[in-house]
Amino acid sequence: MTKVANAQPRPRFVPGQPDMWAFVLFEALVFTGYFIVYIIRRTQSPDLFLQSQAHLDLRVGVFNTLVLLASSWSVARCVQAARERSFRAALTNAFLTMLFGFLFLVSKVLEWATEIEEGFGFTTNEFFSFYYFLTAIHFLHLLIGFVVLAIGIYQLWSPARRSQEMIETCATYWHTIDFLWVLIFALLYVMR
Amino acid sequence: MSTGFDKRLIVAWLALSAITITQLGVGSLQDGLRPNAAITSGAIVIALIKVRIIFREFMEVRHAPVLLCRLTDLWVVVAGVSLLGCYFVGMAFSSGFSLR
Repeated sequence: MTKVANAQPRPRFVPGQPDMWAFVLFEALVFTGYFIVYIIRRTQSPDLFLQSQAHLDLRVGVFNTLVLLASSWSVARCVQAARERSFRAALTNAFLTMLFGFLFLVSKVLEWATEIEEGFGFTTNEFFSFYYFLTAIHFLHLLIGFVVLAIGIYQLWSPARRSQEMIETCATYWHTIDFLWVLIFALLYVMR
Repeated sequence: MSTGFDKRLIVAWLALSAITITQLGVGSLQDGLRPNAAITSGAIVIALIKVRIIFREFMEVRHAPVLLCRLTDLWVVVAGVSLLGCYFVGMAFSSGFSLR
């Protein structure tokens, strides 16, 4: 467990379990591979990708990004509150994170439904294949994130189970969902 | 106590949100159906700056051992070089550039 004495300079520490950081860096590399393939394919058919991208709503992408950034903020607050042994505040922030995550989930499903209704499915063209692949694999990480958050809440719920390291590990996973989305948003919605 | 941390978190969150909102401006540009290297470079660089802020502030990497700081920074640099490199090399080839 990570314990912090107030007003004392903190020694450097790994937030959460080192294994989770190994996983985060592995995931970052795997997604970098996906992004490289996407960009290479995109540069081979720039007009097709740009015309297809124009069917995405940038405002929805911005909204989703803001929601996930808010969730990252609340889970970071959860970690801080738990470290200060303010477990009620930590639980509140954990639930708030889950709420933001659920908001993202609903928004993403609605966006997919809109695209499909307008006739843009996975097989429509290469851009939409990448769009559904990247957003779906991210969505899968989000679903796992709910399980991870639930573990964090379970840990916080009872004094007998509270482990600061576990809370930090759960938060580290959740932040990964956020920073991967930041890159997906830039590549699918913003780049030209 | 947490006050200093909380302020940093709020500043980081506001900065990240403000940067994201400014990206709405790209949607109002009239050159929507043309490749634009400046917008692409900006989007990738801004995204990686946001990722680094998330690492440093939200994931508390700035308090982590130097190795973890260096590894996360290294990935940000590798991702930036790879993505921008693939974009520019790919665009050069698709527009008929030859190495000869």
